[in-house]
Amino acid sequence: MKEETKGNVKLWDAVPGYDFDEKIDVPEMRSYFHDGVHSVPRLTPMYSWFYGRANPVGSQYASETLSIPTCKGWSQKIKDGSTYVAMHIIQDKEEIDKRAAKFKEALVPWIDDFDGLWEGYKKELIGLYDHLKSLDLEKATNIDLLHHLWDMIRTYRRMWEIHFLGMYTSMSALALIEEQVARFGLTAESPEFQNMFRGFDNKVFQVDKQMSEFAQAAVRSGLSDLFKNDKAEDVLLKLDESDAGRKWKKDFHEFLKVEGWRMVRMMDFNEPYWLEEPSTAISVIQTFVSKGTDFNLDEVRLKSIEEREKAITELLQKVPEGEREWLRALINLGGKAGSYSEEHDLYCELYSHALIRRGLLGIGRRLVQAGTIDKPDDTLFLNPDEIEQVMLAPEFHKLQYIANRRRADWERLRFKETPPVFTERADMNEAVGKDLIPSGDVIIIKLVVGEMPKVKPELKADIYGVCGAPGVAEGKARVIFTYEQLHEVLPGEILVCPGTNPAWTPIFGVVKGVVADRGGTLSHTAIVGREYQVPTIVNCFEGTEKIKTGMKIRVDATQGAIYILSK
Amino acid sequence: MHSKKLIFWFDELGKEHNDIVGKKCANLGEMARMGLSVPPGFAIPIDIYRKFIKETGAEDEISSYIKEFGDTKGAGIQVFEEMSENLRGAIDEKEMLPSLGECIASYYTELCNRTGKENVAVSVRSSGTESRPGMFETYLNVCGIEELLEKIKKVWSSTFTPRAIAFRVNKGLPVLGDELGVAVPKMVNARASGIAFTVNPIDGDSSKITIEANWGLGEGVVSGAESVDLFEVDKNTLEIASKHAGNKRRGVFYTETGADWADVPAGIQCIPCIIDEEVIEIAKVAKSAEEILESPQDMEWAIDQDTDFPQNIFWLQTRPAKVAIKKVDSAANHIADLMAKKFRGF
Repeated sequence: MKEETKGNVKLWDAVPGYDFDEKIDVPEMRSYFHDGVHSVPRLTPMYSWFYGRANPVGSQYASETLSIPTCKGWSQKIKDGSTYVAMHIIQDKEEIDKRAAKFKEALVPWIDDFDGLWEGYKKELIGLYDHLKSLDLEKATNIDLLHHLWDMIRTYRRMWEIHFLGMYTSMSALALIEEQVARFGLTAESPEFQNMFRGFDNKVFQVDKQMSEFAQAAVRSGLSDLFKNDKAEDVLLKLDESDAGRKWKKDFHEFLKVEGWRMVRMMDFNEPYWLEEPSTAISVIQTFVSKGTDFNLDEVRLKSIEEREKAITELLQKVPEGEREWLRALINLGGKAGSYSEEHDLYCELYSHALIRRGLLGIGRRLVQAGTIDKPDDTLFLNPDEIEQVMLAPEFHKLQYIANRRRADWERLRFKETPPVFTERADMNEAVGKDLIPSGDVIIIKLVVGEMPKVKPELKADIYGVCGAPGVAEGKARVIFTYEQLHEVLPGEILVCPGTNPAWTPIFGVVKGVVADRGGTLSHTAIVGREYQVPTIVNCFEGTEKIKTGMKIRVDATQGAIYILSK
Repeated sequence: MHSKKLIFWFDELGKEHNDIVGKKCANLGEMARMGLSVPPGFAIPIDIYRKFIKETGAEDEISSYIKEFGDTKGAGIQVFEEMSENLRGAIDEKEMLPSLGECIASYYTELCNRTGKENVAVSVRSSGTESRPGMFETYLNVCGIEELLEKIKKVWSSTFTPRAIAFRVNKGLPVLGDELGVAVPKMVNARASGIAFTVNPIDGDSSKITIEANWGLGEGVVSGAESVDLFEVDKNTLEIASKHAGNKRRGVFYTETGADWADVPAGIQCIPCIIDEEVIEIAKVAKSAEEILESPQDMEWAIDQDTDFPQNIFWLQTRPAKVAIKKVDSAANHIADLMAKKFRGF
């Protein structure tokens, strides 16, 4: 069917009720802030549908469950695949006091046993995921597939509820620590502070370590040339040509069956997961093989643990005796919270997204058979309402005109910039001061929108950002927008990017410094930068715009200053 | 204790005298002994009440009235009101025994001499052996011996307020019970008064001292009816952790012949009624009282406007603090508390 048939179908029709309308939404909420951490590049229409509704409701659910004193989560709107958030700020002092009293009660079990609660929720999530996995998509009836679609929506909604319970408790703990240690002369940017939270293992690092071990095994089996010289897809084929190769591939596939439910891109359905396309995981192995496997995170961690204990001991010496016990408990909690902020991505976003991609492609294949769409991944350019309409009698319907139109729009806009805020206020700073900070929402303040950089004219820097991990680095810039480009990064370069996610973590062992356009001091980029001890600047807004690959730059992360040394 | 001695100065007493002078007086003595600055005054032991009702014939009247009245179990408030009127009357209408009157007068005169004031203003407070908050009468701003003797009888007879009778009947105690001693401390010419808790009475947080304050006399805070000033002082550092000035529209102030609720002048309603150094001094004394008594305390204080800081802070009462929610004082609770408080700053 020709596109013109229904020419008025636009990309943003994909998320009815959640489309951003400046004229209506801005007067209602005053300021909508761009979520540059999670929606660059722009989201597909299907992902916008899922994320746009389940994510804000999840934040509201957790805010209500925990009785967050100053905020009832956020409202979220989608503008052509970019997401914008506005905070539900509570103004009434009495209500805040009442909520604070309940909040206290709700927090105690998390402080007492954060790991235990998180284990319970992990089990619940894995139960939901196992249920999704149990459906054989090819043998399923159309009814099964429709129910599977509903199960995916339900799973996804629950995932965000759990996600935010953990996020609010852990992020509140980290924010409290920053405030409390300030009394003893430590700032969040200081090495003494950051040393206290380094050296914690988590599932992301464990998987990275297993990957590094597979790389070492490949080198030992004499397969290093194969990994160095061939494209990832070819590596897989050529592994079948030798006994050592077949053995390695078999072991690796067993590993992927367990750990391969992991998206390459965290916040969308449009790129494959490891188990679906093992070559994506192979490229990580290739990075380890060709750049050397000498970056040993375990060794770094041992050193970090030593430094951590030293830093904590030194701090506690400055603390009055009566306060030591709870401060020690708080620092322990902070460490767990830091680990959670890494690990939850794996069990929440990366895992659920992989399973939903699997389901949407399964549905897509069935719709292709019926002639409703042309390609299985056309489903990513529809929304569940549209799929629901056709699923039980797909042969009667054509949806190409919607999918093609939206795909074209999405491809055209994908990397286009979008304003950091839509607001009635005078500027971004005023909007942040009036419509964001009063929410007290640690997730949006310290992770999504991030702290605003301070311009320090005396430093004469070209770009200013916020210190994510302290230190100074100088080197060639490498500007990267997507995971597929990551293999271009050479050892010793400085990574310049919109932001990072757990799939990018191994690259921190390769680069000298990191510059991210967006993200706060508790964002993935900042936390991993600290764990790898790589000087890292976040929230500099215009890094990928002003810096070009090949430029020599100097990153003074401690000062939040970036210097372009040569063009 | 000397057997012939009828009346005692507070600083001659201690908690071991509870049964002789009643709890309030013994407590004031104990406070003075600890070094707390309590208003000067004297204690009229319970034996004097017994002597009074015996020798005036009031006791017989009361006993026979109660006997005649018969079973009062499950009776309504009207019954207790009727009883109260008769029983109180039996005490109030009797003349003070001259021997007792003279003895009390000699102590009152001595108090006037000690404080350098003619007809010094005192409060007249009940002091039974058991703590029965709010059951009995208190008279404020009592001046002159005649008035004092009158009010002492009234405090005695307040053992028969309807609420006190009802309480005893419901608890199965004899109607005749609760014999009262009387405390007669000099009135503090209070600019401001209040309470200091060494533990938060609501959530049990023991890291801070909570101070509530209002203009005028302590009754303007204790009754809990008005918006008051609220201070929190860190127990470790003795620094003011938080300060909230209440909108103090009403307070209890002296009247010609007593004290009563009155409007606070408009200009000072929203101004804190005590200054920071007074707040810290109050907290310091409260902290040391808690340490000496080895338990959290609920204390009443008043700031005398005729005296200079820090001698101007007087302590009227201290008792073990009651906490609404018994707090498990764990690190987790403390952290949760701090996390919740963080949000108040936004």
